Amino acid sequence: MGKLGFSLVGSYLGYQAQNLLLSKETRPQRHARLHKDVSRRVRDELGELKGPVMKLGQMLSMQTDFLSDEVLEELAGLQMQAPPMHATLARAQFKSALGKYPEEAFREFDPEPFAAASLGQVHRAITFDGEKVAVKIQYPAIRSAIENDLKLLRSATLPTRVTGHVPPALLDEIARGLLEETDYLHEAGNIDYFRKGLAGLSFVTVPHVYRELTSDRVLTMSFVEGESLNNWLKRKPSHALRDLMGARLTEAYETQLQHLRVIHADQHPGNYLFQPDGRFGLVDFGCVKRVNFGILELHRFYETRGWQENEAAAHRFLSIIYGNNVPFARARKILPILEEFLDILWPRGSDFVIDFKTFKNPRVNEIRRKFLRQTVQDKLVNPDFVYLVRGDMGFWHLISEIGATVNLSEITGLVSATVPPMR
Amino acid sequence: MKAKSRRKPAAGKGPGRRSENKKKTRQAILRAALELFASQGFYRTTTKAISRKAGIAEGTLFNYFRTKEDLAVYFLEQELDAVIKWYENDDRIQKAALPEQLFAIIQRSLDRLAPYEEFVGAVYLRALVPSSSLGPWSLQTQSRSLRYLQFIREILATAEDDEQIPPLGDFGAYAFGLFHLAIATHWLQDRSRGKERTLALMDRCLNLGSHFLQKRNWNW
Repeated sequence: MGKLGFSLVGSYLGYQAQNLLLSKETRPQRHARLHKDVSRRVRDELGELKGPVMKLGQMLSMQTDFLSDEVLEELAGLQMQAPPMHATLARAQFKSALGKYPEEAFREFDPEPFAAASLGQVHRAITFDGEKVAVKIQYPAIRSAIENDLKLLRSATLPTRVTGHVPPALLDEIARGLLEETDYLHEAGNIDYFRKGLAGLSFVTVPHVYRELTSDRVLTMSFVEGESLNNWLKRKPSHALRDLMGARLTEAYETQLQHLRVIHADQHPGNYLFQPDGRFGLVDFGCVKRVNFGILELHRFYETRGWQENEAAAHRFLSIIYGNNVPFARARKILPILEEFLDILWPRGSDFVIDFKTFKNPRVNEIRRKFLRQTVQDKLVNPDFVYLVRGDMGFWHLISEIGATVNLSEITGLVSATVPPMR
Repeated sequence: MKAKSRRKPAAGKGPGRRSENKKKTRQAILRAALELFASQGFYRTTTKAISRKAGIAEGTLFNYFRTKEDLAVYFLEQELDAVIKWYENDDRIQKAALPEQLFAIIQRSLDRLAPYEEFVGAVYLRALVPSSSLGPWSLQTQSRSLRYLQFIREILATAEDDEQIPPLGDFGAYAFGLFHLAIATHWLQDRSRGKERTLALMDRCLNLGSHFLQKRNWNW
């Protein structure tokens, strides 16, 4: 990590020095190249460290938008990675977690992992009853490593906490989220919750947990069929199928927000498995967050730009996104940026359509970054809202990668009209 | 001794059979002792209980092992034999990358020791006494470590031939032996769940070590 710090500092210093010699035209190009170099460096270094430090940097950067898009892109590539374990280590860690070796727990167990997962890796196995399962094994001692890194992070961010730009609440939130992710029993609880809550959607597969073969560091669940987004796209699915997939993903996402009142904040394509007929499976439920505000109310505000009606409405809106103690005068500076954003995404009087073309529009990212930067500058970072933004952004990005056009307003209405499956 | 020589010829035929029987009894005693160490703890196990469990007279026990220390020496030898034998019979591990092979050797031996942790801890403490036959200076220990070093040396030599690591010679085996000892010490102190910290430490050190060796093309 020291090396990483040094090389970042080193190259930034070099950049600053050369900046004096460069003409205005070449500066942006050089800037872009530098960021690419730095990001590769980041990726190389973090690739070796993998695990917690990476996760921390990634979460902090995604939630406050400190890093450039290039760096984020490189970090996103690391999303699913964890320290790889060779067969002997995976087997030993399995025993450390469950008190017996995989060959004692399964009829068959594939010593080679078929997928990386956050903080671990996934192996195929067959139970003694002949059922196909996926066994997620966590890299040993990752929790204590994360605890150490959190201590470091707390001292590293002391200046920003003193000035109030990164509120302690955000760090607490990151810490809570990360530590929760290390507990596979917690994830098992999330899986059960999603499984029950999404049971009404016949096109979604949520695995079920084999509790007797699960502990805080090993998670055994039924095997979910499907392929990665990239492979699914390689089959060149028709426009109709892409749109169907997009609409179904959105229905599942809206159902989570409205009825389950949770958000899967890690909307990464790797958390979905896609099937050729337009069905899909959900995997990886580590990063799930409860939603504390009425998503429909927020939706209505967006649709009507409700904060323009009167002061009380504006106050209400800002308190939804920034919490009840929002410093009103400061917070309202965000509204024009938001309006600019919505004018592109959701023009007045029309439906909110998520269109993959929209996200190719560089203005969208520019405004999003402006929005987040303003939030940090004005010391308004609200962990709850940040999760929602992160989830939304990830989700829209997913839809645009699929190449679907989705009428979000229509689906939101559809979902709100259905009876919640639980309660 | 006399009592035995009177009895033994009747049981077997010739000296080969006799030493075979002797070996069997030694192993039966060790097995009984280990079972008791695992269930009751090392310090609470008496020689009386061991001999009863092994089905021999307490006096006979002393013919085989004069002290608990002798028993420990025999135990460590058996453990080494078992690990070498396991390695030689496991084709998959022999073909694995060097860090995994070395990881597996330590992990296998720790896994075998796990039920007798208290006993192993006692052996460690005992080994610090200068006169102990378990100490690093005792000839018994030295002949056992020589066997261990030769075993490791052969594995490293294969990796050297495959150019997985630069030529390290006997030094590599010594260095790994020290690492093994350090890991075992850490393992004894490790209070993490399922001793997972030891697993992580081992994995990281071995990967780092092999990474380090690969990066430098040492030319002595």
